[in-house]
Amino acid sequence: MMTKHENLNEKWDVQLRKGSLELVILAALKNRTLYGLEVLKLLHSFETMKITEGTLYPLLDRLKRDGLVSAVWQHEGETRPRKYYQLTQQGEQKLDIVTKRWRQSVKDVEFLIQNPGPKSIQLKGE
Amino acid sequence: MSEHDPIHYYLKSLSKYLSRLEKTEANEVIREIESHILDALELQQQNGQKEDVDAILFGFGEPRKLANQYVEHLLQGTPPPTGFKAIQTVKKGATKSLYYGMGLFGFAISALLLLVGIGKLFYPEYIGVWSAAQGNSVTITFSEHIYPNSDELLGYWLTPIAVGLGGGITWLTRSVLRVLKQNIH
Repeated sequence: MMTKHENLNEKWDVQLRKGSLELVILAALKNRTLYGLEVLKLLHSFETMKITEGTLYPLLDRLKRDGLVSAVWQHEGETRPRKYYQLTQQGEQKLDIVTKRWRQSVKDVEFLIQNPGPKSIQLKGE
Repeated sequence: MSEHDPIHYYLKSLSKYLSRLEKTEANEVIREIESHILDALELQQQNGQKEDVDAILFGFGEPRKLANQYVEHLLQGTPPPTGFKAIQTVKKGATKSLYYGMGLFGFAISALLLLVGIGKLFYPEYIGVWSAAQGNSVTITFSEHIYPNSDELLGYWLTPIAVGLGGGITWLTRSVLRVLKQNIH
């Protein structure tokens, strides 16, 4: 049975992931070539990134269509064929841009959290 | 291989819902998902867990919903190039005219039928359906002068029939307009 606190955590994670999942996938594939199950296992090792298969695969498909990742089928020895994904040059560029925005957002949010009222914040340009 | 039946069933269903994709694309999706399911089952075995096909399939969600995510980019369509805005405006105008024209046509006919039905009660001699020209023609009149060489049909039955038909056409028109509004705009 999920406690109210855990339920709130879960809801928050889902909300945040909606906007950040693309960044998460691109970052997971930075300098790595992984197949779907490996991406899933990697993400599941983090507390806030437990996405489902039904979310991952269509997203990988979209990133591929958008030219941000490329995919190749590989068949090694006895193993069954697997589709491996890696970043394209365009994907790397996008990851760089989005990473900067992500860091800026985190900085901004953190600043607000660290500076509660009633003391006023010196706004830029004033 | 009975434990693999749900997989077969799931992939078959998924394949059906992916039919909007090109055959090779759909096959690739199916192949990748099948490969994932079989890998995940092996992983469960290696970790000493009981094979749980249902849990894996649950992670993929319903075949229809999963397929929708793969095909939604096809359904969204490409926006028209900037120079083609005029065509969009004309198309929009045509749709609106169709919508209002349909409404006017449907409601006018039903209003007329209701008027005939109710009017028959108040002016039974002037309003009616007549068989003219020895039964070769049927005419509805709102006239002080009875149609020459004609016999009245239906009599007071005209009222419930016309009111019923009028109501039916009103309902039909509203249904058609509802569909038009949703799909054509």
